[in-house]
Amino acid sequence: MKFRDLVEISGGNLRRMKLRAFLTISGVVIAIAAFVAMLSFGAGMKKNVTEQFDELGLFSTMQVYPERENEANDTLVNPVLNDSIVVLLSQIDGVRLAYPYDDFPVKVQFADTTLSCDAQALPLAAASTRMFSRIETGRSFESDSAFEVIVTSGFLRDAEIEAADSLIGKPLVLSVEVSSVDSALMYVVRESGKETFERIGNLNFDSLKQENFLQRLVSQEATRAMGNFVEGYMNARETIADTLTIVGVLDAARGRSRTEPLLVPVATARKFTSSGFTGDPTKMFSALTSGTLFADSESGNIRDYSRVTLDLDPAAAYQPIKDSVTALGFRSFSYAEEFDEILKAFRHFNMALSAIGLIALLTAALGIVNTMVMSIIERRREIGILKSLGADEREIKLLFLVESGVIGSIGAIVGIIFGWLITRIASLIAQSIMANEGVDAMELFDLPIWLIVTAYLFGLIVSLVAGYYPARRAARVDPVEALRTD
Amino acid sequence: MSNNESLLATVSLSRYFTRGSHTIKAVDRIDLTISAGEFLGIVGSSGSGKSTLLNLLAGLDSPTEGQILFESGSMNSWDRSRLARYRAESVGMVFQSFNLLSYKTAVENVAMALYFSDLPRSLRTAKATAMLERLGLADRLDHRPSDLSGGEQQRVAIARALVKSPKMLFADEPTGNLDQENSTQISELLTELNEEGLTVIMVTHDIELARKSTHRIIRMHYGSIVESHSGETE
Ligand SMILES: Nc1ncnc2c1ncn2[C@@H]1O[C@H](COP(=O)(O)OP(=O)(O)OP(=O)(O)O)[C@@H](O)[C@H]1O
Ligand SMILES: [Mg+2]
Repeated sequence: MKFRDLVEISGGNLRRMKLRAFLTISGVVIAIAAFVAMLSFGAGMKKNVTEQFDELGLFSTMQVYPERENEANDTLVNPVLNDSIVVLLSQIDGVRLAYPYDDFPVKVQFADTTLSCDAQALPLAAASTRMFSRIETGRSFESDSAFEVIVTSGFLRDAEIEAADSLIGKPLVLSVEVSSVDSALMYVVRESGKETFERIGNLNFDSLKQENFLQRLVSQEATRAMGNFVEGYMNARETIADTLTIVGVLDAARGRSRTEPLLVPVATARKFTSSGFTGDPTKMFSALTSGTLFADSESGNIRDYSRVTLDLDPAAAYQPIKDSVTALGFRSFSYAEEFDEILKAFRHFNMALSAIGLIALLTAALGIVNTMVMSIIERRREIGILKSLGADEREIKLLFLVESGVIGSIGAIVGIIFGWLITRIASLIAQSIMANEGVDAMELFDLPIWLIVTAYLFGLIVSLVAGYYPARRAARVDPVEALRTD
Repeated sequence: MSNNESLLATVSLSRYFTRGSHTIKAVDRIDLTISAGEFLGIVGSSGSGKSTLLNLLAGLDSPTEGQILFESGSMNSWDRSRLARYRAESVGMVFQSFNLLSYKTAVENVAMALYFSDLPRSLRTAKATAMLERLGLADRLDHRPSDLSGGEQQRVAIARALVKSPKMLFADEPTGNLDQENSTQISELLTELNEEGLTVIMVTHDIELARKSTHRIIRMHYGSIVESHSGETE
């Protein structure tokens, strides 16, 4: 018997038993539709996360942090992330770029608005990594020392600006109030100068011959000067201001890593940061004690960072890089590592969804068994005739297997279409809810080819398994009995 | 005319049915030889084992004991698929109750017999049509069994049996459900087919009909052949 004949006979039978075929196929349709809709949701979520990770370059990014304070062993001072460490980190094999998370508070004057926010210094090389690749309009920096700025969606929100396009090319005045070494010295001289000279005038010069007196005096004066210096440092603040041109707008709304409202080229940023301490007294004191206060401030070596971002070669394995970072005494965090955990969670999620679909499919399978068994009882005579005409058991079995296979196939195909329709409707509803809530619209569902193929095969295999027992029964029908005149 | 060439033979052929504690010997050690081109009639009272014997000869049932030789080869050694091929190629069957599929047209019912040949669909339909036309059903091709008279239905069934050009036709009371006129028509048709070379084995209750059309009549009683004599038509 030809396979085409088998399919044709099955089709004819299903057409004859319209209502029953419809009900049986409906069972499969519902099960497959549920299966497809649920797994489509799982696939959509996974796709969203993967895309976001990939878009942000998170798979090829590693964050480096200083080790947490060790309470048990506080005699050990954890190494800090400073520029020399950044250089060391950038020399690790597989690291393409290392740049610190270097943020500083600024005052921004744009058009009529003035606001305070944070700016982030960014090397040109870092600006071209994936993490900062989602420039909505405009472009990246021209150079590390360009007087340019990229604003992010955080800035748009703070400044209540709607149209991002209109910003490109506009000037933006960035100002920082700093206390510089120069201004502090000025203060010392200005405020305590006269007083000191007065006291020097009152000195008994003979007593200067006494060494300990001299020492006491010098230390006394030095302490006083130091006090004045510190006081001056805190009070005599100087304002550094510059006009930068907005060259790009970055969409950071969906970003997983924090991005400050303003991104400034690294060399340009140094103008604002290395001129002094931006209002953080603890940093200044640590600089005073370590003697870095008067160190070459151009190198910026006095700053230490909360985080350094490593841009990795995508081909490089992250474990050796992680080990190198640990060896330097720092903590690391990699999204690639994190992602494995997320994938594991998705697998469990999908498994749970499949289980629900499977239960529905099991019910549908029972419907198929029922239909086929009924069909065999009704068609005993037909089976007898076919056998008398030369059908062997294998062919009868095949005939009924094909019939349940046709039920499964039609059910699976219609079910996939229905499942897809369900996801479209659910997606529309979800989109409108998201729009109402002001959340960024995102597609919750994904229907990849593998899911379509899997759903179809599932429907087909389950129907074949369900049809196997009835088919075997059909094959064993005794033709003599089936054809007997009663 | 019968010749002496043995087409089908049985050797101590038996078929027993076990019902609870006792055994029914439906066919009991029958030795029978059927020649090619013969028209054999089988008569006997109800329950004497006529249908059982016919089903065994047609390869639809398997003997409990004994053998069937087809063209001198034992069918006992055949597996299921060889047996199926025997039914598909060498055997045509006609039943008292026609056994047509009610949802198929006359042509479709006849073409069904060619499922097991390698013929393409169009050729199967053409052959079925030609066979129905030959049996005088040219204007009934697309009728369903319910729209046909008993005689017409039986002719469709005969067409279905013959469309694959078998060597033998097994007819189990083919006129049992027909009136006198239709019975005569069908038996004349079988005689005509036999004269064209077809071997016909017919079970019937109608001894007169058997006498008129067959070469030889065997009478069965409790599974055995109790009487055998040549027909009077010669
Ligand atoms: N499957 C079966 N199981 C048990 N007994 C059976 C079976 N088939 C037939 N028999 C018995 O075998 C005997 C012969 O039956 P068979 O049908 O061959 O008789 P028959 O001569 O064709 O009768 P009829 O003229 O009524 O058709 C009967 O007694 C019948 O009851
Ligand atoms: Mg009978």
